[in-house]
Amino acid sequence: MILGVTIITLSVLVNQITKNTFTKNNPNLDVVVGAKGSPLQLVLSSIHHIDIPTGNISYKNAKKIMKHPAIKFGVPISLGDNFQNYRIVGTDKKFLKLYDAELEIGSMWEKPMQSVIGSNVANFTKLKIDKFFVGSHGLIDTGDIHSEQPYKVVGILKKTGTILDNLIITSLNSVWNLHSNQNDILKKSDSLEVTALLLKYKNKTSVFSFPRLINKNTSMQAASPNLEISKLFKLTGGAHKIINYLSIIIVSLSFAGILFTLLNNINERKYDLAILRTLGFTRERIFSIILIEGMTISILGSFIGLILGSIVYKCIEFFSLLGRNIVTGQLDFIYEILIIWFVILIISFLTCLIPCIKVYKQNIRNTLLNS
Amino acid sequence: MLICENLSFSIDGHKLFSNIDFKIKKEKDLLITGPSGIGKTTLLSVLCGLQIPTEGSIRYNDISLYSLSENKIDEFRGKQLGIVFQSFNLINAFTIKQNLQIANTAEGSQDTDHLYDLLERVGLADKSHIKVSNLSIGEKQRVAVARAFIGQPKWIFCDEPTSSLDDKNTDIITNLIKEESLRHKASLILITHDKRVQSILNFNEILRLGEVL
Repeated sequence: MILGVTIITLSVLVNQITKNTFTKNNPNLDVVVGAKGSPLQLVLSSIHHIDIPTGNISYKNAKKIMKHPAIKFGVPISLGDNFQNYRIVGTDKKFLKLYDAELEIGSMWEKPMQSVIGSNVANFTKLKIDKFFVGSHGLIDTGDIHSEQPYKVVGILKKTGTILDNLIITSLNSVWNLHSNQNDILKKSDSLEVTALLLKYKNKTSVFSFPRLINKNTSMQAASPNLEISKLFKLTGGAHKIINYLSIIIVSLSFAGILFTLLNNINERKYDLAILRTLGFTRERIFSIILIEGMTISILGSFIGLILGSIVYKCIEFFSLLGRNIVTGQLDFIYEILIIWFVILIISFLTCLIPCIKVYKQNIRNTLLNS
Repeated sequence: MLICENLSFSIDGHKLFSNIDFKIKKEKDLLITGPSGIGKTTLLSVLCGLQIPTEGSIRYNDISLYSLSENKIDEFRGKQLGIVFQSFNLINAFTIKQNLQIANTAEGSQDTDHLYDLLERVGLADKSHIKVSNLSIGEKQRVAVARAFIGQPKWIFCDEPTSSLDDKNTDIITNLIKEESLRHKASLILITHDKRVQSILNFNEILRLGEVL
């Protein structure tokens, strides 16, 4: 029972929080434009900050796209560095508006190499206002650092429950500045690049036409975040179903275990139960004793399983990349867990009724004579 | 008063006993005797509400036993009757004390002080923590007697209480039953072939089952 409920709890938590996180991380963006490659990779890298980017696109082209009549607004992002595995995102201030982000303390960046950091970044790295830090090249901490140009923390964001909590935000100029040895390159806008462009349509009629336009006529690709993430869930859904089936089998076996244990106990104790009847215990009273015994096993087992599943999940969240890059502590899953627990208790109750009915129908005199 | 009228019992169409009538007044005793297999133990079960008679009625004062629901019969047995079974029917996995406590619980009482007095009187107070399975036959019989008197019963039923005891233990158990039934002002309904018991207990009424048949 404990094992089964632990696996079910873990499975539900991971599934629900992953889905919630993917939903919350996307601030209703319609399309992402980036370098050609895997569209899923583009979405994962530019919105969910999990995968590596497909490459860079010209900032000049990006600006053209942002001015396209179908586009309501666009936000360019430039990736490439990290600090202790937290990604540094070069962008403009509209990026923060996407997530309705507010400053907890400090101010927005005004100059290159100034940054605001997400709440998880502040908690885990202990970075504070006016502290300096040095970014590492790449999206994971390799030790190849840009020691010559440190970033300064000028603001810390309030917790949003999105991927923004795990990001370090700075201006595009900061990223460009770091990745060029020649300062005058900033003046040559033709050579500037960004990683991706996060876009929102003016109206939904562009859903099909705009990506086709980009994919056919440019060296870039346009990918729909919702479409790609739903494809991802279809791909991983099979494995998730197998885990669910496995946990259902384990819980079913534990129900069978409880049933056979109770039946066996009753068989061994039928003589004692008959004695209780001779002493004045009513059939209802003995029925209740057996029911309480069975339900105690079920409630305790499922509750311990629930707690263990949550603890294992919290450990995964804390220690793994899942914790750093996906999960940000939503609590919407509790409802589903409670429903599962409730269903388990109902099935436990029905399972316990079988031995209880057997005891209820017991003939005292025959039992005493036979024993 | 215990009144049995026209009591009959059949198993698979075979009449074990029939047309039994008797009355026992308050605090009077009844000896049930007769040859083996005549249905004495079955009659005791019927009187205690453990087995429904084929015909007839049993009334304890104003209560007609088998007009009660099965649960009410169980409750009545727990509160009004004390039974000493031939095979003791103790819970072997429990200690002496636990066997008495469970009977006390069944009767609905929370007070356990009287249990120690009872154990004292049956001479098992110093062995109360011992499991019943580790007791001698005589000790088990004493526990069974002690248990029957929990809850101030008004009718005590004993089925061959001395059948497997030696003379010394027979005296002890018989005197114990006599003393406790007097103490509780209970009527005693006892099945025995044992002349030793019959000589110690002075029965007001004797029911010879073979003669009834």
